[in-house]
Amino acid sequence: MQPDENSDEARVSDAMRPLHPNQLWLLRIRTIVSMLALLGIALAFDAGPLRDTGLRPGLVPGLAALLGLVAILWLPGRRYRAWGYCEDEEELHVRHGLLVRVRTIVPFGRVQHIDLAQGPVERSFGIATLILHTAGTRGSAVRLPGLARNEAEKMRDRIRHRIRQEFV
Amino acid sequence: MTSDPAPRRLHPATLISRWLRIIPQMAAGGIGVAAGIAREGFGGILLFAFIAMLAGLAIALLVWWRFSYTVGAGEIVIEKGVLHRQRRVIPFDRVQDISIEQPLLARLFGTARVKIETGGAGADEGSLDMIGLADARLLRDHIKRGQAAPVAEETEAAEPVLFEMRLGRLLLSGLFNFSLVFLAAIVAGLQYLDQFDLVDWEQVIAAEQKGAAAGLVTIRTTLILIGLVLLLGVAAGVIRTVARDFGFRLTRTEAGLRRRRGLLTLSEIVIPLRRTQVALIESGPVGRLLGWHALSFQTLGADRKEGGVQVAAPFARIEALLPILAEAGFPPPPPRAEFRGLPRRGLLRRVLAWLVLALAAGIAASIVLPEAGFGVAALLVLALLAVLRWRKHTYLVGERALFVSRGLLKRRLWIIPFEKTQTISTSRGPVQRRLRLASLLVDTAGASAIRAPEIVDLDGGDADALAERLLASFHDARAVIRLQSGLISSPTR
Repeated sequence: MQPDENSDEARVSDAMRPLHPNQLWLLRIRTIVSMLALLGIALAFDAGPLRDTGLRPGLVPGLAALLGLVAILWLPGRRYRAWGYCEDEEELHVRHGLLVRVRTIVPFGRVQHIDLAQGPVERSFGIATLILHTAGTRGSAVRLPGLARNEAEKMRDRIRHRIRQEFV
Repeated sequence: MTSDPAPRRLHPATLISRWLRIIPQMAAGGIGVAAGIAREGFGGILLFAFIAMLAGLAIALLVWWRFSYTVGAGEIVIEKGVLHRQRRVIPFDRVQDISIEQPLLARLFGTARVKIETGGAGADEGSLDMIGLADARLLRDHIKRGQAAPVAEETEAAEPVLFEMRLGRLLLSGLFNFSLVFLAAIVAGLQYLDQFDLVDWEQVIAAEQKGAAAGLVTIRTTLILIGLVLLLGVAAGVIRTVARDFGFRLTRTEAGLRRRRGLLTLSEIVIPLRRTQVALIESGPVGRLLGWHALSFQTLGADRKEGGVQVAAPFARIEALLPILAEAGFPPPPPRAEFRGLPRRGLLRRVLAWLVLALAAGIAASIVLPEAGFGVAALLVLALLAVLRWRKHTYLVGERALFVSRGLLKRRLWIIPFEKTQTISTSRGPVQRRLRLASLLVDTAGASAIRAPEIVDLDGGDADALAERLLASFHDARAVIRLQSGLISSPTR
């Protein structure tokens, strides 16, 4: 799991900008919510189907809570650091993914349309997600979350101006 | 059909084909009702059937009445829907492919189905079920003219033929299209019959078991059975190929390649050259040994059912493919020797898991389960296949395009011109990171999600360098195109 700090990947990622710090809080909240859901399921199992087995009551929820705590403390930071972006003259570079690390290059000339999305939690943190749509298949929607709202809008306008009306 | 703004309806024969399609649906829904009526005797059923047929006709008539299309100077407007009205405007500029199909029924009436694809997500974006064949051709030419600068009238007879398949070649290609699909259908059909006790399998099997006592008989029957299966598979392949590719003809038109084919369902499509994205050369294991290849083009609007590609030549020598590639503006594939392989440590990722499992199975075989020995053999075969597949996975950065080749049995060679790039991405899984490997994918418009020309397990540094190089090549190629289009016509909007 541990990335090799001397690997080419670590070197390349230095040039990239991190996301807005509020995105870290957003990731924390998301992890907390999903871990609470996990805990809820574990509690339900403990009270229901697991009662007749030899397992000690409270063992499964305890393990779930422990796992959740580790995940809440450990995952969001790593997820946050996995993200990075870099806006060039002609293209956008995006880096993301914890398990599978993906770097995507989107030339602005290829952008078909741009979305700016903001969920309720994102709104309260003042951040937004920029989505670049291309005509491709696997990379047809390249997401870049965790941008300050006004920065995202500026970025959208900058990209919009650089989109050339060239056809595939 | 020079910009005639009056709305038109489909050919009245649409009524018949629609009606024929509605009847089975109604019958399926009506079986329950019919069963209820059945108590009232045979007359009741007849009456019900009559009403159903009338209702079907009425529905077909309504649908036909409420469907109209208007061909304007720069767009086609399709209005349809009985209750929920839908009005769709398709500007000619956005049309990617226009295909003309003639199913058997349509041929009886001299009509054709026109499909207009725009590259959007929907499957049927503009489909005119049945219009007169002459009208269909006119419409297609009208749309084509509306797209580009005015061109001379296209006359099909004068178009240069790029590729043609005569009957002998067609039958030969059928032999290579060995297919077990129909066999599966036959087996499924037999099971279905079995449900109704029409075929008594117990009897058949019992006879077989009696023979099994003699030992030899089963081997003989098995061999005969295998032979029969193979024969059926070959026959199914030939039939399917002949039905699909009969009279295959690829000609060069003003703006693209015109392909005609089909025995029962005649289909005609123009692959617009401006819209082709990627060329794909495929070959099967046996066909490749004998030098047979297939060429297809990935276009934005291509039928996703066919994997997002349009076949340009289904069965040809590589020399016959080169002129087609040249016409379409693709560079020819370089000799195999120039392709680059992938780092040897990529084998670790592909083979290690199988070897570890084989070792475990081997230990199990020697201690507890002698039968696990077969597992060892199977796992070693899997490991060997992985090695062979790794050897066949090569790539090459040419002057104008990226070439990616993959596949042990069915081999695919993608020709991806630099300027067709949509996005470039590299990805690294956990094992790949340990081994300092990375995969690289150049995404293109209309690419298949499953069969993507991904280069798996490049050296990590090479992958990043390659991504940068492809990006630079992309920008260079686009700049050249902009310059050319600026010289020829007014600047693009």
